[in-house]
Amino acid sequence: MKLAFALAAATIFGTGAYLLLHRDLVRVVLGVVLISQAAVLTLIASGLTRGVAPIYPLTERSMSDPLSQGMALTAIVIGLAVTAFLLVLVLKVVGAFESREIDEVAEDEAEHDAALERRHALEHEEEEAAAR
Amino acid sequence: MTALTLALVIPWAAGIVLALLDGRRALVGWLAVAVLVANLTALVVLAVEVLPDGSVGGTTGNWPAGVGITLRADALGIVFAVLSSLALVAATAHEVLEGVRDRVFPGLVVLLAAGLSGVFVTGDVFDFYVFFELSMAAAYILATYGGTRRELGAALVFTTVNLLGTFLFLLSVAGLYHVTGTLNMAGAAARVADVDPNAAILIAVGFFAAFSVKLGLFPFHFWLPTVYTGARPAVAAILSGGVANIGAYGLLRFGGELLPDELALASTALIVIGSASIIYGGVLAVSRRTSSEMLAYSAVGQVGYVLVAIGIGGPVGFAAAILYSVINSLNKTLLFLTVEMRGAIVGAVFALGALSVAGVPPAGGFVGKLELFRAAIGDPAVLALFLLGSALSFVYVFQIYQFDFWRGERTGSLSRRPQQALVAVVALVVLATGLWPEPLLALSHDAAAVLARAAG
Repeated sequence: MKLAFALAAATIFGTGAYLLLHRDLVRVVLGVVLISQAAVLTLIASGLTRGVAPIYPLTERSMSDPLSQGMALTAIVIGLAVTAFLLVLVLKVVGAFESREIDEVAEDEAEHDAALERRHALEHEEEEAAAR
Repeated sequence: MTALTLALVIPWAAGIVLALLDGRRALVGWLAVAVLVANLTALVVLAVEVLPDGSVGGTTGNWPAGVGITLRADALGIVFAVLSSLALVAATAHEVLEGVRDRVFPGLVVLLAAGLSGVFVTGDVFDFYVFFELSMAAAYILATYGGTRRELGAALVFTTVNLLGTFLFLLSVAGLYHVTGTLNMAGAAARVADVDPNAAILIAVGFFAAFSVKLGLFPFHFWLPTVYTGARPAVAAILSGGVANIGAYGLLRFGGELLPDELALASTALIVIGSASIIYGGVLAVSRRTSSEMLAYSAVGQVGYVLVAIGIGGPVGFAAAILYSVINSLNKTLLFLTVEMRGAIVGAVFALGALSVAGVPPAGGFVGKLELFRAAIGDPAVLALFLLGSALSFVYVFQIYQFDFWRGERTGSLSRRPQQALVAVVALVVLATGLWPEPLLALSHDAAAVLARAAG
């Protein structure tokens, strides 16, 4: 069972990492979602025990581990919230850049840097000229 | 326990209320500052209870020990909690004086304070993740503050990369629970010595990567310059002075207390990565001509010192790492706040911050560097590296000082007097840590003693 969980988590993490490296922003979000699911699977797998439901008062000795279920639930809820936020953020970015590609965002950044660089180079030349 | 509860409940409850109010009104902004000051006061009261070597704690909801979530405030946690709270107060007051532009800003900063206080006083690994995610969620939204293309692009990068770091942390938490069978930090630290070394190293690497992303260390730094230059100055100050502390604290807590054997094993690797960070950050900062870009790369370089000190380890190394984290966080808060300011005393304030980054007396940075040199005294290569790093930082900060204040390249309107007075107060704190370093030195040694006791 552990092996199955490990394989599933590894496959999901790998797929998520692949999507994360994509240019399309929606795929990047999907990649983050998949990686969060891989983490949830690992949390469940970290406490795999077979037994009765752990309801107080405890009747039998062998009960299944409730803690990993609790952690997985918490992680799912937090994952849901950050996914919702990430989708809204992508929506705003798409609105602001009028593109779904991450390259456009990077290009904008690069243009800003290049403009700054040009301004500094110009200033530097002027200073040199003034010094001469 | 009362102060501990108040430090968590005040910002949490007030944050929810403030998030519903219109933060652009000055009154709401000042309300947020008042809540942050209340949080800081509760933390300081807690610090007085805890120091020099006690700890305050308990289990939430009066559950029996081992069932409920444990809270535990000790010297190490409280130093970082007070420090982060201080940075948040300064940055929020600065932004309120400037005029808040977004209705959610004050509420988010207060919720961030709740998350940060929680991270530093929890005694439970999974609870750490929850508080961690609470503060990061607030930070993700804060990164969009301003709302132009630059901030949105920066926030997208920040959110994606840090979410990846968070999930790596969660994977390591699952691993730690699997091998030790407990989520309690003290319990896990006691049991981790019997764990299969291969598994423990994997878990340690996961934690290291997660906290390095947060801290912006060299191979994990790629998101940092975009975000720190793209975000508004107050947000950059909050991220570098408040949120980045999670990284330093996490490395110390999880490395020094939970996985000390793995930390000792990786000592050389940590020193190498830290050195790469120092050189890379320093060299790139020298080539920058705007103060925000210079500060962003300087942030990459300065955390390298913290990592090298952690790599050296032992009480002296840990104390140096804690002291340098405190001083670096104060420096960055001060300098990022002054990025878009102009005025009579802004130059003097910037110069003081610059002296502190370069490690020149009388500013606080000198004491930090002195402790680092003391920790590295047995290793000539590391000493030479520190000297080179300091020389680089001296060049880059004063180069920017020259551009901005002597040649007057800094544009923008004159800052108002209250705002200038605020940065002057922060500058005086930096100066005070340099002129009267004994309390801070004692504090860092108390905090490092926590780790030494845990290691037995």
